[in-house]
Amino acid sequence: MYDGGELLFLFKFSRFIDMILTGEGERPIRPYIKIGGTMKKGLPLFILVLFLSLPLSSFAGAPLDSVKGNVDKVLDVLRDPALKGESGMKAKKAKIHTISDKMFDFNELSRRTLGQNWTRLNAGQQKEFTELYKSILEDAYVDKIVTYTDEKVLYNKENPLTEKTVEVQTTIVAKKCDIPINYRVIQKGTEWRVYDVVIEGVSLISNYRTQFREILTNKTPEALLETLRKKVGKA
Amino acid sequence: MKKILPVVIVCIFLLAHGALAQDSSAVPTTPSATSGEQQPAEQQDMKSSAADQPESEGAGTTSHTQTEAADTVYEEEQIEENEVVRIADPIRPWNTAMYHVNDKLYFWLLKPVAQGYSAVVPEDIRLSVSNFFENLTTPIRFVSCVLQLKMKKAGNELVRFVYNSTAGIGGLADVAKTDLDIKRHDEDLGQTFGHYGVGQGFYIVWPVLGPSSLRDTVGMVGDWFLDPVYYVNPLEASLGISAYDRVNETSFHIGDYEDLKKAAIDPYVSIRDAYTQHRKKKVEE
Repeated sequence: MYDGGELLFLFKFSRFIDMILTGEGERPIRPYIKIGGTMKKGLPLFILVLFLSLPLSSFAGAPLDSVKGNVDKVLDVLRDPALKGESGMKAKKAKIHTISDKMFDFNELSRRTLGQNWTRLNAGQQKEFTELYKSILEDAYVDKIVTYTDEKVLYNKENPLTEKTVEVQTTIVAKKCDIPINYRVIQKGTEWRVYDVVIEGVSLISNYRTQFREILTNKTPEALLETLRKKVGKA
Repeated sequence: MKKILPVVIVCIFLLAHGALAQDSSAVPTTPSATSGEQQPAEQQDMKSSAADQPESEGAGTTSHTQTEAADTVYEEEQIEENEVVRIADPIRPWNTAMYHVNDKLYFWLLKPVAQGYSAVVPEDIRLSVSNFFENLTTPIRFVSCVLQLKMKKAGNELVRFVYNSTAGIGGLADVAKTDLDIKRHDEDLGQTFGHYGVGQGFYIVWPVLGPSSLRDTVGMVGDWFLDPVYYVNPLEASLGISAYDRVNETSFHIGDYEDLKKAAIDPYVSIRDAYTQHRKKKVEE
């Protein structure tokens, strides 16, 4: 665990450096390093650590950069002053849908959500399930996310899970409290696609898996699809 | 108070000795059930993969590699399935009923009151009220940290309390966070039991109070004794303050419950799972 004080200082300092290097004002990125010890060990060590951290943060970060790139795109859309009112809201939603299509791997997400039950669906059912599940998730979260405006996102660090999967840890800084949001990404070719989102410790796919499992314990896959169709039709 | 304590102690004793088994598993996994219906899907896969690789030596090899690939997928999923947190739900009829009671309480009472309140009271004041109540419940977090031997966190809580109570004018401002960058550590007695390996027991939905578990209920009762508001006399005043705190908190979260319900296929199961996952994370922190 790191001490809040140093981290904040380092964080501010790295932003300052960032500002000088890039000429940009707003870059709330924490460098991808763990900082031990205390400030008392002196400034030279601190500066050494800082310089060591700079290349590290640019090397280690393919998954993080991918998540950051996509989230930043969403934030840009949300903050776009040109998109206002009813029509602007619609345009925003459409743009976010486009981004989320690239950001998420809905196949992976669906397969992992159903877990062992995935094989109970035939290929056609799997495809339909993926489509329905995707639109449920998008309906639920895009509607929610367009209400956000001035929240800041911190990209904290990467946490490798398996060879091909990494958890990118972020924090949304809101007025009331900070919300930790972790994106779990999987490597697909050269890209990193999100297959799970963990908000305050609650994994999205685990949450749905529990729900689907209960339905599939007593019912057929077709009945599950019917439930989802109704849900999508209503929304 | 003296009447409740023995009950609490007995409950802790029972929990600690596993008399109330944890994962008696409300929902059984169904590998046996799936195996029967696995065939068609696999055949489909074989067909498609054979089509993908026309140059492969034959259907036999293809199916072999296919099964291997499927196996690794399963291994991965097995890991994830094991990670899944489950909670027993033996009193589900009661819980479902209380879920509906709370649902109505929210939509018919809490939400309109909180909406009216937030329309009248500016956000900054509501934040101050929230900070004030958070500051009051420092004993819960401090004691929980000490019991878990998290001394640094306990120290932080103490510093926060002293600093916020003075420089933060009786806790109205969370200056410890803004000035000193010392954040609040969400700890309570339920987490403390969890820290020492006590399982959730089973899921309980309380009217008004919402989702809980056997372990966390015991913890919650203990937390009451550490909450200064509990010692306010008469009882009506104490309950009134708690209700006000609740309304104030709700004013920041209007819409969250609605969103959760909208996103869920089965809101009851979704909330139960979210509660279980969230508490597990809190215990691990």
